[in-house]
Amino acid sequence: MTDLRTIPVVAAGEERPSGGQGNLLARVFDELTAFCRSRSLFMLHYCTGCGAVELPPAMTSRFDMERLGIQPMVTPRQADILLVTGYVSTKTLKRIILTYEQMNSPKYVIGICSCTVNGGMYWQSYATAKKLNDYLPVDMYIAGCMPRPEAVISGLRELIANIRAGRSDYWRDYYRRYDHYLGNQQRLFGENWQTPTDVIAEARHYGLFGPETLGEHTALLEQHQTPLQPFEMRLGLKQDKGSSS
Amino acid sequence: MRPENYQAVSHPPSHEYEVFFGPNHPGIEGNYALKVRLHGDEVTAARADGGYLHRGFEKLMEGRLWIQNIALVPRICVPDPVPMEVCYSLAIEALGGLEVPERAQWIRVMQLELSRIAAHLFTFGGNAATTGMYTPMFWGIADRDLILDLFEELSGGRVYHIYNIPGGVRRDLPEGYLKRVSDTLDYIESRLPDYDNLMFTNQVFVRRATGVGIMTQEQALDWGVTGPNLRATGLPFDVRRDDPYLIYDQLEFDVPVEEAGDAWARTLVRRAELKQSLRILRQVVARLPEIDGPIRAPIPNPLAWNLPLGDVYTRVESSKGELAYYVVSNGGDKPWRVHVRGPSAMHAVQVLEHLVTGARIEDVAQIMFSLDACPPEVDR
Repeated sequence: MTDLRTIPVVAAGEERPSGGQGNLLARVFDELTAFCRSRSLFMLHYCTGCGAVELPPAMTSRFDMERLGIQPMVTPRQADILLVTGYVSTKTLKRIILTYEQMNSPKYVIGICSCTVNGGMYWQSYATAKKLNDYLPVDMYIAGCMPRPEAVISGLRELIANIRAGRSDYWRDYYRRYDHYLGNQQRLFGENWQTPTDVIAEARHYGLFGPETLGEHTALLEQHQTPLQPFEMRLGLKQDKGSSS
Repeated sequence: MRPENYQAVSHPPSHEYEVFFGPNHPGIEGNYALKVRLHGDEVTAARADGGYLHRGFEKLMEGRLWIQNIALVPRICVPDPVPMEVCYSLAIEALGGLEVPERAQWIRVMQLELSRIAAHLFTFGGNAATTGMYTPMFWGIADRDLILDLFEELSGGRVYHIYNIPGGVRRDLPEGYLKRVSDTLDYIESRLPDYDNLMFTNQVFVRRATGVGIMTQEQALDWGVTGPNLRATGLPFDVRRDDPYLIYDQLEFDVPVEEAGDAWARTLVRRAELKQSLRILRQVVARLPEIDGPIRAPIPNPLAWNLPLGDVYTRVESSKGELAYYVVSNGGDKPWRVHVRGPSAMHAVQVLEHLVTGARIEDVAQIMFSLDACPPEVDR
């Protein structure tokens, strides 16, 4: 699905021009922000697959992720990192996309386990999405089935270094090329797929609206989009089961 | 719901609301969700929402060779993978008429019991964390890691060790391995009083767990619940004792039973089972050096291995309950049909819905963890 030539590549040594180029004060401020950002990362507490079983050892006493300033966080609104730990079934992928769009920028996606890279050992499964990169911009992959806690921590250190150097900004890619990601999502979920977040308006707000933000898929979205209703959950139960008194 | 703390209040209608409990919620065991309808803080209806981890295992296994599926099966239950490998191997051996050497059987039992201890330590941690006690979680996971180190030394994998293959085990024990197993057992045994002080006699936990999520023995039998959850209702049924496989009939162990059937009883049964697993492992470590011989029965070329026509049902006792495989062969090199009886599928969907209804919202996570549900095994 993804044409490899369209994926933006950032060379390891290349510095992205920051906003405050030239202005010393602004540059110092940017560097300070990047430093603080890289040292207090909150990781969303969402275990999507088998890789999640290696995260408790990585978080607790033995490998102790907290010494890097990384802590689990229960709500997507306050989280910085979305860890996709393992295979994503179609049903999970919908929740991942909803969660990702709820998170505040800057946000980073890490794909753990081989299954997020290319489907892993479920390459022929009818129920899983194969390449996470098609649906979300992924900052880093940690391959392995499953990666050891040391590998997870080494990957997170790499992410910290990338954030520090301003190289990890693939969340911008989601706004710049929203049409591409939306197209892949529509191909999987059907053309009626929509999320509560208005990504196009956010792209305008962040100043990331580009020529590839809109396209045929966003046109299709606007055609099918229904106005957001007050959310109503249907349990599908006629009567409450015997409530105790 | 703790009866002594609860007084029924008549709420205005606006106190009726519905919330999602999961899938990204720290009180949920993995990728699983519950939708609950609340009246105040009391749950009046609940609907389990699984399927987030569905990978179509039973279909995938039909497309792969008998031997290839060995790499697939441990993924069905992530925290407790060894029973999956052993049960599938037992099925193939029964179909192919393979005789497993005695030494391999003893090594398999050692792996099974180590895996059970690891899974129970993991569950204790999660169970305590749902009541706000995070120290048992840190301790349990750190102690579990020592067992994962043993697995790693033997098979190269911490979590998934494709170590049990049809016909026996992959390689023999390294030099001094039994000594290291014995040392780890000593350490875990010395930690048990600490766990008792911290968790099993701690009123913070005892009062939260007593009387929560009660299941009677009739209900448990009707719903097909097995394992520690069934034994917590007073029925001493254990596949290891009642339908012995491998060499369990040569070992001495008790089947711990509790009567109450609530979350506290389920936790106590697991605590007692941990001790029995240590007892079994002591016997295995003592006996294993005497048992010599091959570790693997010779199997034909696994890439062109046609098993004879037939079907077989094998079961083992995993840490969650009775795990079984129903395998049908049509004489080919691939299974014609595989059905996995994941023990959690029985108690993590309908039973959980039933037990949660009438409980209070803060006890929902506690009930789920005390049932020791394993979502990947439910969805498969």
